[in-house]
Amino acid sequence: MKAFPWVAGAALGVLALAAPLVLERGTLNDVWSLAFAVILASAWNLLGGFAGQVSLGYSAFLGIGAYATVLLSLRGMNPFLTLPLGAALAAAFSVLIGLPAFRLRGPYFTIATIGVGEVVRVCASSVSFTGGSSGLRMPPGTFDFTLNYLSMVALAIAVVALAAFVKRSAFGQALAAIRQDIDAAEALGIDSTRFKLAAHALSAALVAVAGGLYAINFQYIAPGSVFDFRLSLSIVLMPIVGGVGTIAGPVLGALVFSTLQIKLLSIPALRDSYLFIYGTLLIVVMLFEPKGILGLVRRVFNRRLRRFYADA
Amino acid sequence: MPMPEPILSVKALKKIFGGLLALSDVSFSVAEGEIYGVIGPNGAGKTTLFSCLVGSLPPTSGSILFRGREIAGLPNYAVVARGLVSTHQIARPFRDMTVEANVSIGAHFGAGRRRGADARRRVADILERTGLGARAGSLAMALPIGDLKRLEIARALATEPAVLCLDEVMGGLNPSEIVAAMSLVRAIRDSGLTVLMIEHHVHAVAGVTDRILVLNFGEMIAEGVPRDVLRNPEVVAAYLGDDAGAA
Repeated sequence: MKAFPWVAGAALGVLALAAPLVLERGTLNDVWSLAFAVILASAWNLLGGFAGQVSLGYSAFLGIGAYATVLLSLRGMNPFLTLPLGAALAAAFSVLIGLPAFRLRGPYFTIATIGVGEVVRVCASSVSFTGGSSGLRMPPGTFDFTLNYLSMVALAIAVVALAAFVKRSAFGQALAAIRQDIDAAEALGIDSTRFKLAAHALSAALVAVAGGLYAINFQYIAPGSVFDFRLSLSIVLMPIVGGVGTIAGPVLGALVFSTLQIKLLSIPALRDSYLFIYGTLLIVVMLFEPKGILGLVRRVFNRRLRRFYADA
Repeated sequence: MPMPEPILSVKALKKIFGGLLALSDVSFSVAEGEIYGVIGPNGAGKTTLFSCLVGSLPPTSGSILFRGREIAGLPNYAVVARGLVSTHQIARPFRDMTVEANVSIGAHFGAGRRRGADARRRVADILERTGLGARAGSLAMALPIGDLKRLEIARALATEPAVLCLDEVMGGLNPSEIVAAMSLVRAIRDSGLTVLMIEHHVHAVAGVTDRILVLNFGEMIAEGVPRDVLRNPEVVAAYLGDDAGAA
């Protein structure tokens, strides 16, 4: 019973990795988008879900990863070798903004992160080496769809596995303590700032790698795409709708989100309405099932199980 | 009485909140292995004193020597790592965690920093000693008040302190629970710890402490062995009002 999610997850992972052998390009693109969403949601969940620090500034890390990849590739580096550099840069930046921002608590922290995300976007659109607001194009000959697909899916699997590992570790336990009562956590010896910085850096690095892969796949980035505030918002909405602080929740949220986005984006009149629908979904979740879709599934499943035993 | 080198030595400790003098010039020393009581009317500054000792509030001025080293102004987690820990007056469990997980936080991140099987053994031992063994798997939010108080003590013990500060762990307990709590405090001392305790229940304090400090409006008004201190006219006046003291 306890092994079921692991077996199911591993099977899904293997299927997704084997998919290029059987599925066509359009469907693979959808899976690629899903994997991208899973990485963003699960990585954000490390800090936002496990430690309860809701950041609305994650597009900054995505953008840093994407720009690092394009800028370094333009200088002749292999795009895939730029990924760890983008990750390191994003992690360093996360510490830089975390040091002052983590002094703030609850909504004040969240508001500060909105500011950081916007400042980074404005900077990227105004300085010249990022190509300003018109963005940058990857050097030619850096596109290989199968490779892009496999690396995004592999990263998604790795991030979910890492999240499961963190949740069970002493590190994850410290984050849970910080989320539930930060003063009580400090009173038992937890240096909350250090743990928050570590979770922030880890999730920022993962999001930056996803940003690099995004740049490699789309071959073109601009501040309006990778530093978009709506992107930061989506990153937060996915785990919350799916089930914040859990392993499967962000994956479910990403599935709902990427499906909605793919279906709705294909209807021109509804191009931008996915955020509206997602906002409605968020309100419904907050009002009726704060533990998200996963909480709902568990509740229904437990009720069925109880009824089954009562009848037997 | 010749005193050994004190494990905790507080000198001229002062804490000001805005215009309010919460602690003024508090000085005392606690010897290793002592049970030291802190009493006083509501608002006397008892909890503020503990908060300054463990660093959850920075003192305005003064010195706190713990095992001969200055700890005044250190953050709470750093003081805990050095072996001085306090419970919370109002229990603050991690509500979504089991009792066992709550206690293991202390074992993992306190002064002991134990991991794996070593930590689990230590946690099981503490749960047994504090009478929470049967509750190990319950969620903290499901505990009654008596068990929550025990959980506060268990978590603090799990950090492996040299000095344990207990902030009203007997508040809200019934008489038989108080007797159990008193013997738990003695057992903790007998296991080699030094105990500081804030308590409203004067009989409980008198029954278990070696010495008592009395605070009133942030000032020390008496210190000494319980029977002397509790007869001190100034202490009686502070507790019962000036008229009673004069009578």
